[in-house]
Amino acid sequence: MSNKSFNSFEMAQSQFDKIAHLLGLDAATRDFLRWPMREYQFLIPLRMDDGQIKIFRGFRVVHNDARGPGKGGIRFHPQESIDTVRALAMWMTWKCALIDIPLGGSNGGIACDPHNLSQREQEQICRGWVRQLVRDLGPHIDVPAPEVMTNAQHMLWMLDEYETIRGEKLPGFITGKPVGMGGSLGRLEATGFGLAFTLREALKELGVPPEDTTASVQGFGNVGQHAIRLYQQMGGKVICVSCWDQKDGTSYSYKKESGVDLSSLLSITDRFGGIDRRKAPGLGYEVLPGSAWLEQDVDILIPAALENQITHDNVKKIRPRVKVIAEGANGPTTSEADKVMAERHIFLIPDILANAGGVTCSYFEQVQSNMNYYWEKDEVLGKLDVKMTGAFNSVLDLAKKENLYMRDAAFFIAIARVARACQDRGWV
Amino acid sequence: MKAAFSRTLTPFDRQFFTGKEKYTLIGGGELGGKAHGLAYIKQILETQICPQFLPEIQVVIPTLTVITTDFFDLFMKENNLYEVAFSDWRDDIIARAFQRAELPAQLVGDLRALIAQVHTPLAIRSSSMLEDAMFEPFASVYATKMIPNNQLDTDTRFRKLVEAIKYVYASTFFKEAKNYMLATKHTSVDEKMAVIIQEVVGTRHGNRFYPHISGVARSYNFYPLGHAKPRDGIIDLALGLGKIIVDDGIGWSYSPACPQANPPYISLSELLEQSQTEFWAIHMGQPLEHDPIKETEYMLKFNLKDAERDGTLRFIASTYRPQDEKIVFGIAEKGPRLIDFAPILKYDLIPLNKMLRTLLKTCEDTLERMVEVEFALTLDEKHGAPARFGFLQVRPMVVSEAHVDVSLAELSGERVLVASESVLGNGILDTLRDIVFVKPERFSVNQTETIAAQLEKFNNQLVASNAPYLLIGFGRWGSSDPQGGIPVKFGQICGAKVIVESTLPEMNFMLSQGSHFFHNITSFRVFYFSVAHWEKYAIDWNWLRQQKVVSETDFICHIQLSFPLKIKVDGTTSRGVISYA
Repeated sequence: MSNKSFNSFEMAQSQFDKIAHLLGLDAATRDFLRWPMREYQFLIPLRMDDGQIKIFRGFRVVHNDARGPGKGGIRFHPQESIDTVRALAMWMTWKCALIDIPLGGSNGGIACDPHNLSQREQEQICRGWVRQLVRDLGPHIDVPAPEVMTNAQHMLWMLDEYETIRGEKLPGFITGKPVGMGGSLGRLEATGFGLAFTLREALKELGVPPEDTTASVQGFGNVGQHAIRLYQQMGGKVICVSCWDQKDGTSYSYKKESGVDLSSLLSITDRFGGIDRRKAPGLGYEVLPGSAWLEQDVDILIPAALENQITHDNVKKIRPRVKVIAEGANGPTTSEADKVMAERHIFLIPDILANAGGVTCSYFEQVQSNMNYYWEKDEVLGKLDVKMTGAFNSVLDLAKKENLYMRDAAFFIAIARVARACQDRGWV
Repeated sequence: MKAAFSRTLTPFDRQFFTGKEKYTLIGGGELGGKAHGLAYIKQILETQICPQFLPEIQVVIPTLTVITTDFFDLFMKENNLYEVAFSDWRDDIIARAFQRAELPAQLVGDLRALIAQVHTPLAIRSSSMLEDAMFEPFASVYATKMIPNNQLDTDTRFRKLVEAIKYVYASTFFKEAKNYMLATKHTSVDEKMAVIIQEVVGTRHGNRFYPHISGVARSYNFYPLGHAKPRDGIIDLALGLGKIIVDDGIGWSYSPACPQANPPYISLSELLEQSQTEFWAIHMGQPLEHDPIKETEYMLKFNLKDAERDGTLRFIASTYRPQDEKIVFGIAEKGPRLIDFAPILKYDLIPLNKMLRTLLKTCEDTLERMVEVEFALTLDEKHGAPARFGFLQVRPMVVSEAHVDVSLAELSGERVLVASESVLGNGILDTLRDIVFVKPERFSVNQTETIAAQLEKFNNQLVASNAPYLLIGFGRWGSSDPQGGIPVKFGQICGAKVIVESTLPEMNFMLSQGSHFFHNITSFRVFYFSVAHWEKYAIDWNWLRQQKVVSETDFICHIQLSFPLKIKVDGTTSRGVISYA
């Protein structure tokens, strides 16, 4: 989990600065893009089930909307901070631009721990968050979506509050809604499947058949589960999964050399992706410390939990066999770790590419919601694959042509597009 | 060996027409029989056949990509379809269940990329592990769906492609396929389906898309007439899509040894009556109905006037001149058109016949057995040549060459139930005790569909009790026209080891050797007796009526003998006799 000394926004700015230099952006454009355009910080008072009033901090940041309405998740996390939200909003800008969908970047959150909140309390927090921001959210302004520890139910409460205040049906206000209530088929799988699509392309590039590979995954939430599912369907074998254990307040890794059985593992997993440590040995899993996922002798590492997970301190523990790192989480790798990975010629699928399936499908959901016409799952996933594969190939082409690290190539494309949009609009 | 063939196809690079490779695959599983056959023949076609006939004829395998069988497995498993698939439910219920299912996530991206760049008709063909396998002569029991693929909207084209693939998958478990499995001692569990997405060879004329010529060429002729010999082979040609030959049994049949000879008709008027008057095309206009579980959803039959308006008769038709009862070359004069391919077969506009002979010979040499080839051809609209020849399919033929003598004396001997000088097959069979026959006094051309349905029940009972049988009926078996015979699918009578077709004066028919029904008869080594009402040999109905009846309906009777029949067929003379000695 994130530590106090790590500042993800500083990391995001440093990534931007590097590419801005490569692109030769002028000073005004750099100043404009290295900070969010708009920020909201507010307090949400909530009467708890026991009658006490508690105050929760809420955030929303729109980094840039030159290419379209803001788009970004809402996280429930006890350590949520404005800088984390800023960084995530900035990455969303780059991600939407890289995937080439007409959206800008934003992010938001509430500093809370839903594990300790009842359903009613969670609902009231969602509604309170919307009430604070109702003037600055909307299908053509800024569109929220689920993120860490938020789900379809939270989105539906938020939509209901928004529609009630606005007095009209606006399903395009928010994405990640339940299917049948304005949600898109395929949205649940989108981030994980999107990651698997890019992983498939990376393995093609390396000339390694998926069935000859093994992987270790950090995080067993929505992204990790679906990435594992599709990767295993391709023939790959996941031998280690790590996740947070809420009860013990720490994370564990669960290892099975013969390969994890997704369906049986899901049967002992809670809705937040926490695996039951006590039941896992019964299914043949070895329980290891949370950091062990990184140290496995595998071909592929998939960090799909939180930011700041592969750092200067642990990057050297990555085994020589590792060929690919596919970043399912946002910002899981620090700049220092990046350097080591680049020197080792590990093929990186950077976060803004690897986990862009979620926002891509969110965009599809928004389009469907605005039309009030919904597509079949085949159609959604077909479009998703084409978008993801197209973006992967653009990044790979540039990386090869300009001899760039994959992350730099991805940022290069994305920042160039956003800078161009700002310039074309006459903003800078 | 199969893995080696798979390697002749390269992975699909999301460029269908524009990629380096025109024959690609999606997935890591098996190719299925049909695709396997094409992969096998691809190199030979490119290196040996194509260069010989350029520039008059360009020989190609139309651009294709194969979805390998692993996606079929995944589709079935992920959607929990096996229970539905192996149920006794009707075909349409199974097909709808398959339509509701989702294609694997790893597949849809490739399909989406393919369809985004292709705006011309596509054929979605089955390529199963058992069907058409190179060394197992299964015929096409599974579906092929043609889609116009000309909608402006990529989403619509994608949906239609997905629907077609699911339909082809579903056809693996249709009733006819299951019957087939029973007859061949396979089970549906053995079956896996690959799917070929292939460019349709043809040209667009208004709302119609079709080839100028489609055809089936076979290297062995079971019914040689005149100077033709069995080993000369036989070729059926038709205007439009090949469905008219393989399903309707209509086409211009000729021996490649004498391409200029007309088929053996009694009179010119009979020749005109029996020749092609309609053709199949892909309907490119507004869809007539949305019915994803119908194989011919986008196919329509048109008549020759439509083809004439399209300008597609110019190089393939002649004209009947009634005033002097002559067939005259071309379509300059008014009068009924005859699709006889005269400019090509008689005046050698393009060396099609020579090319087909070379092709058959090469395929035979390569596969080391008799073959059947399906193809389609487009001609240059102005000059006829050059032509583009699309090689669609190759499959082996089953030809028995064991020596069996049937003398004339045997045909008219005593204790003969059926004798004929027009028999298909070769060999001796002396194990059949069951006979199923259509009651001659009850038979009516208006009841043939009812008769077909009743026959299926008899067939299923006999197949279940492992009792092969002799089947006797009227008209052309497997006729697509209920007025021309009993419109059974092969699966409905698949337990019959000997089939007798008898004629009635009011019926007129000709069995097409290019039809799938015919292919099944020969592939399963079924003896096929033709007993025409005008010939000297007849069926001994009196003897049949004296036998013990096991069960009967209004139209059909099943009898069982206490002794086996003796059945002899001489393939060289086409003589056959069924005796109860």
